[in-house]
Amino acid sequence: MAAATNQAKPIGLLIAAMGGEGGGVLRQWLVDAAMAEGFAVQSTSIPGVAQRTGATTYYIEMQGPDGGDEGEVGARRPIMSLYPLAGSVDIMVASELIEAGRAMQNGFVTPNCTTLIASTHRVYAMAERTAMGDGRFDGAKVVAAAGNLAQQAVLFDMEAMAQEHNSVINSVLLGAIAGSKRLPIPVAGFEAAIRATGRAVEANLAAFRAGMAAVERGDLAALVPDDDLKRPWHADPPMVEELQHRVREEFPPPARAVLKEAVNRLFEYQNLAYAECFLQRLMPIERAELEAEGHGELVREAGRYLALWMSYEDVIRVAQAKLRPERQARIRREVGAKAGEPVRIREYLKPGLDEVTALLPGWIARPLLAAAEKAGWRDRLNIGMTVNSTALWGHFLLSTLASLRVLRPLGYRFKSEQVLIDQWIDNITRAAALDLDLAMEIAACQRLLKGYGQTHRHGWDSFNRIMTTLVTPALSGVGDSGADPRGAALTIALARDAALADPDGKSLGAALQSEPKAEIAAE
Amino acid sequence: MERSFAKEVKQLRLGQGDTFHGEGILAVTKALLQSGVSYVGGYQGAPISHLMDVLVDAEDLLSELGVHLETSTSEAAAAAMLGASINYPLRGAVTWKSTVGTNVASDALSNLASAGVTGGALMILGEDYGEGSSILQERTHAFATKSQMWLLDPRPDLETIVHMVEKGFELSEASNTPVMLELRIRACHVHGAFEASDNKAGTYNRNNVIAEPVHDFSRITLPPSTYAQEKHKIEVRMPEAIKFIRENQLNDHFEGDLDEVGIICMGGLYNATLRALVQAGLADATGNSRIPILALNVTYPLVADEISDFCAGKSAILMVEEGQPDYLEEAVNVILRKADLQTKVIGKGPLPMAGEYTAEVVLRGLAGFLEQVRPAGIDVEAATQPVRELDRHKARAAELLGDTLPARPPTFCTGCPERPLFSAIRILEKDIGPTHVSCDIGCHTFSTLPPFNLGHTVLGYGLGLASAAGVGPNFGKRVISVMGDGGFWHNGITNGVGSALFNKADGVLMVVKNGYTSATGWQYLPSTLRSRDGRSTGSSIEAVIKSMGARWLHNVPNYKVGSVMKSLRKALTGEDKGLRVLIADSECQLARQRRIKPEIAARLKNGERDVRTRFGVDEETCTGDRACIRLSGCPSLTIKANPDPLRDDPVTTILDSCVGCGLCGEVTHAAVLCPSFYKVDIVRNPNLWDRFKDGLHRKLLGDMARVRV
Repeated sequence: MAAATNQAKPIGLLIAAMGGEGGGVLRQWLVDAAMAEGFAVQSTSIPGVAQRTGATTYYIEMQGPDGGDEGEVGARRPIMSLYPLAGSVDIMVASELIEAGRAMQNGFVTPNCTTLIASTHRVYAMAERTAMGDGRFDGAKVVAAAGNLAQQAVLFDMEAMAQEHNSVINSVLLGAIAGSKRLPIPVAGFEAAIRATGRAVEANLAAFRAGMAAVERGDLAALVPDDDLKRPWHADPPMVEELQHRVREEFPPPARAVLKEAVNRLFEYQNLAYAECFLQRLMPIERAELEAEGHGELVREAGRYLALWMSYEDVIRVAQAKLRPERQARIRREVGAKAGEPVRIREYLKPGLDEVTALLPGWIARPLLAAAEKAGWRDRLNIGMTVNSTALWGHFLLSTLASLRVLRPLGYRFKSEQVLIDQWIDNITRAAALDLDLAMEIAACQRLLKGYGQTHRHGWDSFNRIMTTLVTPALSGVGDSGADPRGAALTIALARDAALADPDGKSLGAALQSEPKAEIAAE
Repeated sequence: MERSFAKEVKQLRLGQGDTFHGEGILAVTKALLQSGVSYVGGYQGAPISHLMDVLVDAEDLLSELGVHLETSTSEAAAAAMLGASINYPLRGAVTWKSTVGTNVASDALSNLASAGVTGGALMILGEDYGEGSSILQERTHAFATKSQMWLLDPRPDLETIVHMVEKGFELSEASNTPVMLELRIRACHVHGAFEASDNKAGTYNRNNVIAEPVHDFSRITLPPSTYAQEKHKIEVRMPEAIKFIRENQLNDHFEGDLDEVGIICMGGLYNATLRALVQAGLADATGNSRIPILALNVTYPLVADEISDFCAGKSAILMVEEGQPDYLEEAVNVILRKADLQTKVIGKGPLPMAGEYTAEVVLRGLAGFLEQVRPAGIDVEAATQPVRELDRHKARAAELLGDTLPARPPTFCTGCPERPLFSAIRILEKDIGPTHVSCDIGCHTFSTLPPFNLGHTVLGYGLGLASAAGVGPNFGKRVISVMGDGGFWHNGITNGVGSALFNKADGVLMVVKNGYTSATGWQYLPSTLRSRDGRSTGSSIEAVIKSMGARWLHNVPNYKVGSVMKSLRKALTGEDKGLRVLIADSECQLARQRRIKPEIAARLKNGERDVRTRFGVDEETCTGDRACIRLSGCPSLTIKANPDPLRDDPVTTILDSCVGCGLCGEVTHAAVLCPSFYKVDIVRNPNLWDRFKDGLHRKLLGDMARVRV
């Protein structure tokens, strides 16, 4: 006989999906459609515990009448594999971008034969979701790899398309498979399979056709960059026109968009004077950068972080945010409430000692906090409440809090924050004279001031540790860090990442220990 | 079971001339009915759950055939059931997840194997090994050899599987020995086809009962019978089995044009082996291989002369045997030695000792074998080319993707009632410090994964409390044991609660009660509100524990993290010693959604009022420290690109998949996190009062807004 008189191999189709995405149904559709064509078909899966939102795979092999028989059982039926084998996967389907990456990592996408069909939307993995900073995997890498490794790559946001047709992603995936024309199955065959399941048939057919059309048009959107999703919070109030004018006149182009937004935000946060104070604070930095022949990146970044710091989240800020007129509309959109469907919104608030003392004058707040700290009550004294902001009383409560805005400057926290802000600004300005990167890194440390209550105090702690152990020596010119501002910049960046690596400051501690080493590495 | 298998049950009714299309494990179920079984039992677990699930829905069919179905409360109970086949000509089959289930069943199995059987006794074992497995990695083979029970490992296509089930009963009867049939995960879930034949009723069954008991002391496992039984195994049963296997040609011999080498593989690995050969250009897709193959559909006992005949005249054979130890490779070597054959047996080496044999693993093993033997008539370079390409290709992919991709381990479902319990433990830890947590088997084992990373040991199903017996007294704090209701009824009552009370243990037991064995697919339990026939069995975990003498017993409302913490704090720090039991009683959310979704849809269709609840996060006040996610991990609580032009770090958000369980809100309160969470009630088909209230509020709030400006 000698090997392989008949080299026809079954078509291999591997589906990578996550629990609850209808991967099983997609498998069934493909099997039904292929069987209707008289194909010999085999499929298998490894559901296991992956049903619980983990990653899983389905594998299908099919061979048409030309590949041996009429698909009859018993006849010279091809022996089909239960395992996909890298190098002979003809169609690789992934219901999510990282799963497509995983498939490529496992070698299942090869230039000799694989059509990769994957949705570019992201379902973030636990590690990405729990990271304190930004732990997201760079999807662009996967897209680039797909272009390199696949014979043909079909990539677009199939989840969004599924939602458009209020269907599930599996029907868009099926459409994309049909559109890719890699299976010798007529469109009618797939549609019949969808009909046969008898559930949400019309929606699924619409999504299926949309998916197919998208592939045939070939106008497949790549990833949407984060910046395209950013939108200003505020329309310009007329009162800030003069400040906006100053932004245009006195600040370099790269910084203007950010500063414009910042001015609006701080006006809403406190008042015109406060917004003006913001620009005032930036002036020295702007000058320092100019002298250091910077192009406005520093003033942009410093402005960004300064605005965030100056609009720190206190109960007043929170109440303001909860009462913003656009908010209800946004929430109705989010939860898909139809017109005429009443919506009740209950806010989960738990103001504690920190929040209250923030608004009291220092001579009351300080002793109170000290006493509470001593008694170990600092995190115990708080009142949990759910406030219905769509009802009269709740709304009244929130507007009362918001109206405390005028008293804010008398409060303990406001005063102390202003002092700290000025120190920080001063540090950035002085650093700019030494090295712009150093100034940048010092400015970026504001990122650590996150959250509320305990979390916020922890952020504070990290911020201070970096300022005292790294920034001060670097600026005073003492020690190795003083000698090498660029090295200091790197060390600060590393320390900041470390501070965001875990919620209990372990990594930061380690980073500050190994600080000299990091500097040597930088040299 | 909140799911219907009506469609599958139809397949079970097929007869002569029909073609069955479906899943491997369902084909086995059909084969049991074609073999005329009188009773079926088992304990659910991937990958064999559906065998039981489908039969549970096939009540009518079973009563027509007089088949008794026992949804056993443990594998031990299922195995003991096979005792029916010892004295009586009753064919019976049981099923469970191996090897953990076989461990539980072993006591009964050893006795059964020693006594021997009259009626065919078959065990369908889901070999939960390799990718998709949820248990420790061991082989069933050892159980078969230690007790002399025959082990079938059929080629993974439906015809062969069905054929081996039917032959398995004959083999069992011909050799008076219980028979195991092992199916790997992918084989259980493989969808294929086979020619059905009519279902048969057993000679004796529920509709035609046995009249007289049979007493035969030689069947009792008590000396001196036991000595005779051991001899009988070796002198009679084994030779009979080997004779049957040879005469019925249960193993498949595939010719090839190369006689210098050969491949002996487990039946279950035949398809992977063939695919590897195809890739290496040494076979075609329809099974014509240049290298002869002996596929062992029976991996114990081996037929010595079958092996030596196959190897005779070959310089080397490749032994494709998955898992370790390498029982088959050793056995084959002994057979060849005794037959004084010099054929080299090459297996573990080119093939890995441990781990699943995927098509790729076998391909690499084949390449290694060919490079070592370099048989005449094979272009080794060409045959091993695919492996080199694969390596190059993977290296390229790794380089393009750069850093490793984030893993995606399983986790609690959206709105799972078990998640809040572990949130509570984590938050409480901040205050009273961490303690030892001894886990159990079930969905709650996911507590050991991120974000909770809670739990220090997993010792087996229902053994959560038992596995704390040694730690507790030697640990500085009171330790926590977790046990699901599944584990409780499986054996947690006796080995856990009974033993703890008897030994005056001082510790905390958290019984996670969600009404089903959820991890295996929502099978009913003795304490499930509805039982198989829709009525309640009335078994109550609380009542059992009380009646056993436990004094400290609290029911905790899962989703109220605050009160769970309160009870837990009491339990962990309370003065008086003793076993403290917390019962967290809340229905499995997945099952619940399955049940209520159609109800809600119907209500909305009839224009009836319905309030949908879901949660949200304010992107303006969320500063993205993720404390909320680290204390929950709910799939619907995730992140998105930050829409704020001033911020870069992603912002927390809640997806529309939210079922409104309220955990995230509870956590923000219990752990004092941030004010960004809100709960939304959407009133669908609002009544007049809803509309009036809504209108009024809108009006007043509108006025207030105007006043404020």
